Amino acid sequence: MPQVIIDGKSYEFEGRPSLLQFCLDHGIELPHFCYHPSMSVPANCRQCLVDIGAPVRDRQTGEIQVNEQGEPVIQYFPKLQTSCSHIVSDGQVVHTARSSGKVKDAQRDTLEFLLINHPLDCPICDQAGHCPLQIQAYKYGPEGSRFEFRKVHKPKKVKLGPRVVLDAERCINCTRCVRFTDEISKSGQLTIIERGVKNYPITPPGVSFDEPYSMNVIDLCPVGALTSVDFRFQARIWEMASTPSITTTNAKGSNCHLWVRDNLVLRITPRANPDVNEFWLPDEDRLAYRRFNEDRPAGPSITAETGAASSSWDASLQRAAEILQRAGENAVFIASAYATVEDNWMLMQLADAVGGQVAGYIPHIDPGHGDGWLCTDDRTPNRQGCERLGIYPIDGTLWRARIESGEVTALYVLEDDPVASGLCSVESLADTEVILHYHHTTNQTLPAACVALPAAMVAETIGTFVNESGRAQRVIPAKAIKGTNRTLMMQMGLSRADRHGTPFDRWHNESHYIDCKPSWEMIPMITRALGTEINPQGPRKIMQHISETNPAFAGATHDAMGLTGIDLCLKESFQPAHLEGTH
Amino acid sequence: MTKAGNWQSYERVLLPPVENLHHLDVYRAHGGYETLKRVLKELEPQEVTAQMKRSGLRGRGGAGFPTGLKWSFMPPVKPDVPRYLCCNADESEPGTFKDRQLMEYNPHLLFEGILIACYAMSLNACYLYVRGEYASWITHLEEELAKMYNANLAGKNMLGTGHCMDIVLHKGAGAYICGEETSLMESLEGKRAYPRIKPPFPAQSGIWGYPTTINNVETLACAPLILGKGADWFAGIGAEKNPGPLLYGISGHVNRPGVYEYPTGMLITDLLEIAGGMRGSKKLKALVPGGASVPVLRADMIEGVTMDVESLREAGSMLGTAGMLFLDEDTDMVAFLRRVAHFYHHESCGQCTPCREGTGWMENLITRIDDGEGNLRDLDLLLDLCDQMEGRTVCALADAAAWPVRNTIKRFREDFERRCRPAVWAVNA
Repeated sequence: MPQVIIDGKSYEFEGRPSLLQFCLDHGIELPHFCYHPSMSVPANCRQCLVDIGAPVRDRQTGEIQVNEQGEPVIQYFPKLQTSCSHIVSDGQVVHTARSSGKVKDAQRDTLEFLLINHPLDCPICDQAGHCPLQIQAYKYGPEGSRFEFRKVHKPKKVKLGPRVVLDAERCINCTRCVRFTDEISKSGQLTIIERGVKNYPITPPGVSFDEPYSMNVIDLCPVGALTSVDFRFQARIWEMASTPSITTTNAKGSNCHLWVRDNLVLRITPRANPDVNEFWLPDEDRLAYRRFNEDRPAGPSITAETGAASSSWDASLQRAAEILQRAGENAVFIASAYATVEDNWMLMQLADAVGGQVAGYIPHIDPGHGDGWLCTDDRTPNRQGCERLGIYPIDGTLWRARIESGEVTALYVLEDDPVASGLCSVESLADTEVILHYHHTTNQTLPAACVALPAAMVAETIGTFVNESGRAQRVIPAKAIKGTNRTLMMQMGLSRADRHGTPFDRWHNESHYIDCKPSWEMIPMITRALGTEINPQGPRKIMQHISETNPAFAGATHDAMGLTGIDLCLKESFQPAHLEGTH
Repeated sequence: MTKAGNWQSYERVLLPPVENLHHLDVYRAHGGYETLKRVLKELEPQEVTAQMKRSGLRGRGGAGFPTGLKWSFMPPVKPDVPRYLCCNADESEPGTFKDRQLMEYNPHLLFEGILIACYAMSLNACYLYVRGEYASWITHLEEELAKMYNANLAGKNMLGTGHCMDIVLHKGAGAYICGEETSLMESLEGKRAYPRIKPPFPAQSGIWGYPTTINNVETLACAPLILGKGADWFAGIGAEKNPGPLLYGISGHVNRPGVYEYPTGMLITDLLEIAGGMRGSKKLKALVPGGASVPVLRADMIEGVTMDVESLREAGSMLGTAGMLFLDEDTDMVAFLRRVAHFYHHESCGQCTPCREGTGWMENLITRIDDGEGNLRDLDLLLDLCDQMEGRTVCALADAAAWPVRNTIKRFREDFERRCRPAVWAVNA
């Protein structure tokens, strides 16, 4: 196998890797700004310079020449090479800043140049704390500056589009953003204007940077030149905790990080997963952070004859049990493609315990919304998870008629909104006792609910979602809820990126606790009141059980899913023939 | 006897003294396009390239790369893969104004050269990239090109030979960087003129990603002469290792500035004499022999130095484009360098960090020295910046910006030190 020697240590390689990527893959840090693995290589920042040499070969025989000590004679390139644009070949010798003073000087010099016209406003910059320029300037840069002139001034706080703001002075002209719009999103909405030291990226005249993936350039930007309209000046990076999670605005299940401070989700950024979303996240997924903070309920409530009144959890769940017991086999359960696999499985157990029927889940399809990339027509995150459990789209006509006829005496809705989705009206539910697990106070079924139970959202729970291509992915809680749930608390401690500290050091602001419970906690409490115990309990054990008993989930344990998920067996192998083509 | 031989009796071939030679009919009346016809009829493409190699012609655009060798880098013809010739007429190095004379007085020699090159490399399209400021020459070239198409000297089935060769005129928009070959190709493709990383070289991946050869105007204009009068004739003119006729663009403090055609290898002192000597009989102080980016020579360094690649390299400079700038004894070298640094600052495309940031910093420092507010340490910082820029960018603009700074300071250090504030102040007793 071909070998390359980097800083005196030899590494084997396959194919034709770029030197920079090869080093990064092998834990050899090389400073860089413009290089991004999924885009073209312009080699314009000149930060990743290294010294590269190759053994001298005899022109006739092709044999490697050796010196008196028997070591191969190495001929170095006359100039330092950018490692990003260099393709590794057999026998090459590479010196990084760790073994070459020349390279160290070059990297320091480039950083000195980058910093002379940079405003150095780190104390008020959103990027400070995770800024590649800041970090690399500390690691590889010069001490102080020899620049004694006025810095070049460029436009500041330019609103490029509805979601992205530019501070051109901070820009180091790496062109990542321009290349993103040219090569990845292909909108071509950004370009570099001016020349030389006045260069900066901007939209062409009359164009607004409003493409549905515009906010990706904020993460790509290696400095704080591109910032989010929403998140700008909202929080310092070290005040937040980031939790790996997935987005739930559509069926793609793009991997993301939830950034939380004081129990508020402040922003959502992409998490690289080559099998799902690579490095990208659509703007709609990022803007969904508001849903975790706004219109959230303040505890359970029961509708008595005097109207809706807040209640305790025990009383509410007791009331729900009474309603279900009364309805018996006339109780109808609506599953949810918004809820986790564990929650839906729990609902099925509850339906069994009561003797009622699971009518199916309510599909939320928005034709034309999908773009063949990271947005899908399906606006729910777990449609396939439901179908793999054997829960299918609800027959709207049939169930609307049954509800209107009063045949359904109790309707149990898991994390959905049958009124808003057009399944039934509030009036038609007048004779039906409705138990509702809901996320937001804007839920239009709330006026009809006898028992309203606030359910934990994806940012607060543990559970599994299956995306449209059959990839099972697990989520862990990013923020705390009001009640005490040891499973969630344990998991939150583990979900910290640094794995240190206590679970209490990031949700100290009690005013932002949401008084809700995960559905997998509520349902067993109801069955307990009914006198049955569901086994197993807790999302981890439930998934273990499902993966062992349901072939459509074979192997999908929490441990196996990890943080990047696993691909389940093909859909055809479990979907009944009569449902073919519902996707 | 100098390397240039008997230059006093040299007869001009690139810019012959013929009135109205820029008109197609006059050019044809003086034997124009006969070489092209003969080449198309009698020679195989490889033979043309071989002749170019034998002539020893080195590119006239500044880098001095052997032209025949460059032509031979083109990959074998593939039926579905287009290939291009590109003529670089984006002449914008300060002190260089020779190609303009060719385009004004002998454009058909250039066109004939282009068509011969097209034939030699088996391609059928040439982009002629002319700098936008040459507006009147562009109009003129367009008119003559139209006449050529009417006379079936270009286009489909040219001269009834079955070959199809097109010349497409492209106007630049006034950026020095577009004269860099890869940046020129980007500009031609309608993109921002950021130079490309090499490799791949243009012969592998050039315009639109297809094999491309880029030659300077004067280089291509030599092709009809080599094929017409013979490679040996050409190789016998001027300096042995860098032969041929050469357009010397002489400017600065001389009595008769202008473009002079002489063999290569002329003594600098002879050229100064040809240009009428220094203005006002002043003494020579410095010479920039090949356009603003090449290292400046002090007057005491030019004795016996001839205008060819080898001799100038020994003297510590480069032939470049042979645009010679003579500076007299009254010249303020700090002000001179300030203007040069301003040019490179203004023209840096801004792609690579060292050039984008370094050129401006250099100008700032030199301006400060010129304004009498500089410090001695600024000179060392300037030399440091040269080290930090040279050889660390995609194209050679950073080098071109650093060389004059480094060499002007090195060779005229007293001039700079005199303008700086002293490092140590006198203490009053």
